Amino acid sequence: MIEKLKYLLTHALINLVRAGWGGLASIASIAVSFVIIGIFILVIQHFNALIAEWQEQFQVSVFLDDQITPLQLDMLKGRIEKEAAVKTFTFTSKVEALANFRRELKGQESLLEGLGDNPLPASFQLKIREGYQSSEALKTLSSFLSRLEGVEDIQYGQEWVERMSRVARLIRLLGTIIGSVLTLGSAMIVSNTIRLAVYARAQEIEIMRLVGATKAYIRAPFLVEGMLQGSLGAALALGVLFAAYRFVAPTFNLVSSLFPTVAGQGFLESSMMAGLVGGGAAVGALGSSLAVSRFLKM
Amino acid sequence: MIQMFHVFKMFGKDLEALVDVDLHIHKGEMVFLAGPNGAGKSTLLRLIFCDELPTSGQILVNGRNIVRMKPRMVPHLRRTLGIVYQEFKLLRDRTIEENLALVARVVGMTALQTQHKVAQLLTLVGLSHKAQMLPYKLSSGEQQRVAMARALMNDPLILLADEPTGNLDAELAADVLRLLFEVNAQGTTVLVATHNLKFAEEAGCRTVFLKQGRIVGERQRVNQPVGPVQHSSPIRHAWHPADD
Repeated sequence: MIEKLKYLLTHALINLVRAGWGGLASIASIAVSFVIIGIFILVIQHFNALIAEWQEQFQVSVFLDDQITPLQLDMLKGRIEKEAAVKTFTFTSKVEALANFRRELKGQESLLEGLGDNPLPASFQLKIREGYQSSEALKTLSSFLSRLEGVEDIQYGQEWVERMSRVARLIRLLGTIIGSVLTLGSAMIVSNTIRLAVYARAQEIEIMRLVGATKAYIRAPFLVEGMLQGSLGAALALGVLFAAYRFVAPTFNLVSSLFPTVAGQGFLESSMMAGLVGGGAAVGALGSSLAVSRFLKM
Repeated sequence: MIQMFHVFKMFGKDLEALVDVDLHIHKGEMVFLAGPNGAGKSTLLRLIFCDELPTSGQILVNGRNIVRMKPRMVPHLRRTLGIVYQEFKLLRDRTIEENLALVARVVGMTALQTQHKVAQLLTLVGLSHKAQMLPYKLSSGEQQRVAMARALMNDPLILLADEPTGNLDAELAADVLRLLFEVNAQGTTVLVATHNLKFAEEAGCRTVFLKQGRIVGERQRVNQPVGPVQHSSPIRHAWHPADD
């Protein structure tokens, strides 16, 4: 078994070398297709990271009544703690709110003169768990909190949340459509390129068929060769993408201008890279197998 | 060894490639299949190695009915045959040795067995010194001898040669004929398709004449060049190129 695998791999490599420019052309066309898919995945990955970061920063402000008693405040804290939608929360007293505001108005503190009593309310800032950030879930949370004693107002930027949800949905939908079209297109290009390479060896297939080789025996080396071409093409694409990502994009400030918050984001995840190389091997094997089938009538 | 019973082969609805062919070739016999281009000689050979199936009729090769044979058994049948083509069908990017070794791998020979067999056959065809050369660097006659060596790699029971001298001059054709006799002398049944009546005549073997898909005549062996062939029957009707 190991001997057979060794033979198949050696034979596939020899054939790849024999194919010369034809073999290189196949690998190059696979690489080009996978560069396009890789760019697309990279963009989607960055968008997802961006959305995740926005979600991380997202918070609900619960403004409190000025007349709230310490007992009411404790009870309120207890209720918020028990709320499943709340990941973490912080409390800001009236004094802290004013101090924060003063910090924000740095250099223009004079605006606060004549305010008299501190008009800013005490508040809770709630970080919301990921699954509860839809506009519907936030509406439910908001109406629940607003009914609690000592709560004056709830703010979470309803419009912003709804817009964000729409954008995220749109990106996911577009991602699925464009991703599918790109994958299908690449698979067709790759299988056509491999088919041309296999056609060039039609005589070899015919001779093997006529000297009594079984279909599986004829197909196996082509299958391995297709897998090799596919995985080499995908690996080459990843190399090109990595080089572009690490060296070219920062030079032109591409990543940071497109995605300012995630400019430090890493390259494709290792599972995604393995998936791409595996995908390349699968597309190569499939394209090669389909092409050989045309010559294996009996 | 080869038996055909009422074999018809149609291509499409109108083109009759073979019509009611009855042919019996005995073990160890060397038979020529002669006829003009388009007579159905190549089709008949292709039926024997299952490259085509007959439209009707039965074909027995080495006792097995190949018309009813399961597709997965076809490679096993082919491993008992050797096939030689007019256009040689050698792989241009492989050396002579590699072209021969291709068959050895298919039939499951070990590396050592392959090495011995290749050496033995290249000696037989007189090309031992050219084992490492690429086919296109050889003359047509040499390429045809390589093709014959390849066809013999699996020690076939039957050797089918489709116009083996079609691309060769008279002297080289005689070389190929000598080689065919030698193979036949070792017990291999040989069936040669040719449009060259003179070539068939010179061979002096049993010759079956085909015209427009029909067997139109048969001439028995006039001498006994090789082999223990004992089959004989009177000439039914001789085909002559002038008839065509």
